[in-house]
Amino acid sequence: MNAYKELIKGLWRENPIFRMLLGMCPTLAVTTSVQNGLGMGLASTFVLVCANTVIAAIRNLIPGKVRIPCFIIIIAGFVTLVDLLLEGYAYSLHGDLGIFIPLIVVNCMILGRAEAFASKHPIGISIIDGIGMGAGFTLGLVVLGAFRELLGNGTLAGIALGIEQPILMMILPPGGFLALGLLLGLMNHADRYMARRNRRDYPAPPEFDCRHCVICSWGGSRKAADGGKS
Amino acid sequence: MKETLRLIIVLTVTAALTGALLALANKLTEEPIQAARRAALLDSLQLVLPDHDNEPDRETVTIDIGEQQHTFYPARRDGEFAGAAFTSSAQGYGGSITVMIGVDADDRIHAIRVLNHLETPGLGANITNPNFTGQFAGLDGRHPDRINLVRDHGDIQAVTAATVSSEAVVKAVDQGLKIYLAYRDQISATHGTE
Repeated sequence: MNAYKELIKGLWRENPIFRMLLGMCPTLAVTTSVQNGLGMGLASTFVLVCANTVIAAIRNLIPGKVRIPCFIIIIAGFVTLVDLLLEGYAYSLHGDLGIFIPLIVVNCMILGRAEAFASKHPIGISIIDGIGMGAGFTLGLVVLGAFRELLGNGTLAGIALGIEQPILMMILPPGGFLALGLLLGLMNHADRYMARRNRRDYPAPPEFDCRHCVICSWGGSRKAADGGKS
Repeated sequence: MKETLRLIIVLTVTAALTGALLALANKLTEEPIQAARRAALLDSLQLVLPDHDNEPDRETVTIDIGEQQHTFYPARRDGEFAGAAFTSSAQGYGGSITVMIGVDADDRIHAIRVLNHLETPGLGANITNPNFTGQFAGLDGRHPDRINLVRDHGDIQAVTAATVSSEAVVKAVDQGLKIYLAYRDQISATHGTE
């Protein structure tokens, strides 16, 4: 098993936000500024690493039938711990993130890593997976936060950049969807560009590919439209 | 049967252990959380109250009006009543807006601070801006007609494109002051427990 590979997969190839589209609730709700994104990302990373560690440690003791409730109890425990710690030691951040701290419990990314990785791998590699995925999640939130804060408020990490008329909508709820969509598009474009430069095929990840779907005509006509290249 | 028992035991043990550890964490963080909450409250009190040398949050006066409890933070200097602070809420555009108001011994507003709000970022949220809240300073609580938006012949210039939010702050200040003035003697007379 390649530890380095497990560590960096979360940053781009399996990024929880931009690739797996997990944890969309905090992603869209709290990324109105760099600071909020970073705080949320670090809090989630802490929960993810702790939950991965404990779940990997007791993975052989938990019967398969009750594994999901057990995982959720463990995750909820760590989330409550983070909530208490933040209120005690980072009061204003706790106020800014508000309800979204307790809601880390229902972040599918954390349950997803527990189910897909920690419950099947030893402790060491599970911790690395947690750190990598957490870093990817944090990176995603910070990038989204920076993008929205810059366009919507004219500041970056609280520093005014002298933008006269920011696009207010970008820090309102619709801005979250717009920013996420734009960044997803950019990321796919970058992947496709790299693939073309290296003369490789760019295979869209099967779950995000719409070729197999016949609901809209796009799936059928796409092959013809780009000359069968993709 | 044996398997069911195992499931029950595993789940119970997991939940009990987590619960026990959280109880411990709760105990350990209780003090820092109280301290952080107090620091935030003191920060607001320091901002809205005139000069004082007592501890207003330790000498609070609580008055029950109907179902509601109103808490007042009296400020004293050299034992003399120097003013008081209190919170008041009104419905804004996005939800309830809570304002802390500080008055001096002559019932003039010393300063106000918006504690909580759910207004639109970039529009209604500008009610926290000192340019807006600063307008309340110096207004006489005994002349409530001045504490109104310019539109209603008062002295307060509303935040651009956020009349509803501005009005809510004015309403909160006005209502808070009315309650305060009604019980003023009781609040200024009560001496601290210390």
